Amino acid sequence: MARIMIVEDDLITANELKELLENNGYQPIVLKDFKNSYNEIINAKPDLILLDINIPYLNGEKILENLRKEINTPIVMVTSKNSEIDEALSISYGADDYITKPYNPNILLLRLGAVLKRSNQISNILIYKDLKVNIQKGVIEKDNKEITLTKNEMLIFSYLLANQNKIVTREELMTTLWNNNEFINDNALTVNISRLRSKLRDLGLEEIIETRKKEGYILL
Amino acid sequence: MKFSKYIKDKRYLIIIFLVTYILIILNLLAYKTDKYLIISISLLLIIMVLSFLFIDYFRKKKFYQELVNNTKKLDKAYLVLETILKPDFYEGELVSDILFDINKSMIENVKIYEDQLIDFKDYIEMWIHEVKIPLASLVLTINNHKDKYSKKALNSLRRLEDSIDKVLYYVRSEESWKDYFIKEVNLGDIIKNVGLKNMEDLLDNKIDFKVFNVDFNVETDAKWLEFILNQIVNNSIKYKRNIKNSYIKIEAINDKDKVVLKITDNGIGIPKSDLKQVFDKTFTGQNGRYKIVSTGMGLYIAKSLCQKLGHEITIDSVLNSKTEVSIIFFKNNYYEVLK
Repeated sequence: MARIMIVEDDLITANELKELLENNGYQPIVLKDFKNSYNEIINAKPDLILLDINIPYLNGEKILENLRKEINTPIVMVTSKNSEIDEALSISYGADDYITKPYNPNILLLRLGAVLKRSNQISNILIYKDLKVNIQKGVIEKDNKEITLTKNEMLIFSYLLANQNKIVTREELMTTLWNNNEFINDNALTVNISRLRSKLRDLGLEEIIETRKKEGYILL
Repeated sequence: MKFSKYIKDKRYLIIIFLVTYILIILNLLAYKTDKYLIISISLLLIIMVLSFLFIDYFRKKKFYQELVNNTKKLDKAYLVLETILKPDFYEGELVSDILFDINKSMIENVKIYEDQLIDFKDYIEMWIHEVKIPLASLVLTINNHKDKYSKKALNSLRRLEDSIDKVLYYVRSEESWKDYFIKEVNLGDIIKNVGLKNMEDLLDNKIDFKVFNVDFNVETDAKWLEFILNQIVNNSIKYKRNIKNSYIKIEAINDKDKVVLKITDNGIGIPKSDLKQVFDKTFTGQNGRYKIVSTGMGLYIAKSLCQKLGHEITIDSVLNSKTEVSIIFFKNNYYEVLK
């Protein structure tokens, strides 16, 4: 479980962010003492740092600059300053991503996931039950049988897999697809899911993607 | 400076001279002076007066003519004193000194308002960053407690954010030096962000978002362009037609010297009579009037940002059929030259 440090002085935001991350399988740590923010961050040894720019005492950009001299932990800047100059500055100091407030929580999660994936170099082959899922090649293997998924089907399946046993909303799936330049509509999503189901059925996996009315889907 | 008008201006001097001259001649005649002496004195007097007038005229003409001409030529007329030599005659010195003082006081006065405006704009920018903090926490709160809050709340927040952004970019478009950073940007990335931002609205309104062939790099400010495209997409959503296959189609054409990005929708369109004015400040036109609120600022800001960035934006439409907005990114070979 990835540990994410939240450096955010707005208490409500920090707490809601904590809840959001907890709900999505991360282990959040909220920075309390802004006077010693630098040491607190270093000592917490997080896997990723969410860093606001406008924080008390030492400003986020300065902290970023200092942290980069010491550690390689991925740092994502989260700020209400939405100018290209601020972004370029943060990136040049070594930030891994730059997200402006207010952000769509689904997109925030996707971008955090992408940064973590880049730093961990998570392998492209995932295991589900007795299936081998090769995301890069877009195929699922079982025993000696191999089926090919389309890009959209693979995006849906790998997202469900990453959130196994949890309800995934249609909105989350849509966000993932659109984030990968697949701007499909509601009908197309339904079609893609039923094709995915029938392909999985071909491999002998019946009813593994359940529909939860008005909530979304769940991969068992 | 016209000589005839100058002479007219010097009429009292000339009248005094003529009267004096006649009196001198009469005196000379009364003393029965030799007529050759009278002619010679007359000539001398005339030469004296004419040379006085000519010398005076040309000295003044140099200063005044330059003052008048340069003032006419300059687009900032108040800078005229910087462009002319200081006059070498008393009257001119007075004029030039007083003009300088007037100028200075005017500039000081303008500066007061300029400072006030800059302060105000700075405050607006600060306020926008400030207001986005509770906005962000609201979005998170609603998202975390979907059971308690309706999805409509998120829609309203998105509209609030769009509205706040409009003010931010309006302020920015008025001050080109601020927050503006041009680099090579991938069009596809920006379109993706705009798509994600409007995803729910597009899906709710059953508008297909079709993107083709946009994997090109252009030189622009990514944030500004995202705002511009967001305005256009927002308009397409706002002015959709009640038909089954509503769409927004985005595609780019890569030419030798430019990239043209076309955003086409099959919405209600814009009447021909309104087309020329859609980029005008606060223009709402027929569409704005019978559909929901419209401030008429979106496209105006989009256009002024485009102008600052050196892009061209045009719009074409067929009523009840389609609207097509094109943004032209001119290619700059400056970097190629540097390599």
